[in-house]
Amino acid sequence: MSDRRALAALTARRIRELEDGGAHAFVEWSEAALLAQADAPASPAGGALAGETVAVKDNICDLTFRTTCCSRILEGWRSPFEATAVRRLRDAGALVAGKTNCDEFGMGSSTEFSCHGPTVNPCDSARVPGGSSGGSAAAVASGAVSMALGSETGGSVRQPAAFCGVVGIKPTYGRVSRYGLVAFGSSLDQIGTFGRDVEGAARLLAVISGRDPFDATSLDRDPLPPPGPAPVSLAGTVIGIPREYFGEGLHAGVAAGMRRAMDRLRALGAELRDVSLLHTKYAVPTYYIVAPAEASSNLARYDGVRYGRRVGEGAADVRALYRATRGSGFGPEVRRRILLGTYVLSAGFYDAYYGKAQGARERIGGDFTAVFAGGVHAVFTPTTPTPAFKLGENLSDPVAMYLSDIYVCTANLAGVPALSLPIGRDQGLPLGGQLIGPMEGEAEIIRIGQALEAVVGGAEEVR
Amino acid sequence: MAVTREQIQHIAALAELAVDDAAAAELERQLTRILDYVRQLEELDTGDTRVADERVAPLRRDEVVADRLDRPARDFGAAMRQGLFVVPRLGELGGGDQEP
Repeated sequence: MSDRRALAALTARRIRELEDGGAHAFVEWSEAALLAQADAPASPAGGALAGETVAVKDNICDLTFRTTCCSRILEGWRSPFEATAVRRLRDAGALVAGKTNCDEFGMGSSTEFSCHGPTVNPCDSARVPGGSSGGSAAAVASGAVSMALGSETGGSVRQPAAFCGVVGIKPTYGRVSRYGLVAFGSSLDQIGTFGRDVEGAARLLAVISGRDPFDATSLDRDPLPPPGPAPVSLAGTVIGIPREYFGEGLHAGVAAGMRRAMDRLRALGAELRDVSLLHTKYAVPTYYIVAPAEASSNLARYDGVRYGRRVGEGAADVRALYRATRGSGFGPEVRRRILLGTYVLSAGFYDAYYGKAQGARERIGGDFTAVFAGGVHAVFTPTTPTPAFKLGENLSDPVAMYLSDIYVCTANLAGVPALSLPIGRDQGLPLGGQLIGPMEGEAEIIRIGQALEAVVGGAEEVR
Repeated sequence: MAVTREQIQHIAALAELAVDDAAAAELERQLTRILDYVRQLEELDTGDTRVADERVAPLRRDEVVADRLDRPARDFGAAMRQGLFVVPRLGELGGGDQEP
């Protein structure tokens, strides 16, 4: 049996064990598809991802597996093309293991808003894996695959990475092509990567990065280089600690983990500097105007005529068909955001909400620009205010759910790259620390992340 | 400021979403809660803001390349007849039971 065939069979066994255990990380996969990829004559043996299995979030288009965005409205739809990111990882020799569960169209923070049902956290089956890329995070955390693709509009890679104890990277806006990533909030959306360690997530990012003529917002840059070895010293590195991320609402275990990680950064020789990102508290309200506004436009295309599900066949008029299809095809969170987005864009409210939020977004971006212009190489914060919360805990209060993204959505609004890595555990639950870099500063946060990862003890209890 | 039932029905019509009475009642409560929360942006002075970094809105070189869907529609169309996509038959086009 070839190495690739053996890897395909091993991956299939691990996924089957994971799913039989009730994780529900995958929404579509098959051993036959894995073996067919392994046997394909075009498989490159020496690619940058040879020997790796990569799971793909279900809002990223692929030709082998269906793309439902975990929504009933895309039932029965099959993408006629594959995303640039997926094509690149296949070209680099990776096996695509299958499609992973997520919140419908990426709208959620817990992977509970999936038409396929929720994913559970591999560290505690009573808790959520985070979201929206919770299936990808759980697939990597469980060991079923070595890497995964997720997507971020407001922290949907870093937040589940923190909750599941793996590494997640959100690149600079435009670093990775959005071609084939189903649109949610186009000015915010980016494909991100998961890995068991910083090196793995960074290596996957390097493969999928670089200019793409199919995406008008792709940065005109060569692909990122693969990560180097972990540095043993951070002497000469200035790391900003923004006071706004350490205030009211920060869980005691997360605070203890951050203190411990900051001590390790100092021990590595880094200079820790108190900084201010003054407009951080406006990030969640800004995000929940901008993202739903863009979503209400992007999701208008699902009308029962062009894609997937159709309800009201033979309806008296075309609008009745639209309304019946969309009313029954979208789940509760997507409906809520479409209506919220429609509201803030409607006549009489546009300036008060959307116009205001655009101004706030510039303020948030300006905070980061000022901090990095002052000689700070990266900012270090908690990824989330708390460890993973319980299944169902935040379902009845959308604002409580949204606040779990309070530390991550700033980077999406500013367009800057950010990385979450495990910094320890509290009563067995993983804790995440976040490194945020300047525009196109992926190499810097990856370098610092590798150094910290080597000494922080990401699997140790912090108190 | 509370979102009213009439506003819910209005934006649901704009968004082409069927919303029944039970769902509308829940949406009134939830959208009111969310809009009360985002209203804190009112305290922020957003005058004289400018894009901090042009890379947040990059634009690629305008080059024409072959599209990955540049192949016969029958290869990916769900239903085709005489070279055309088949879509649902409708009683009439336009109109609708509720104009926004």
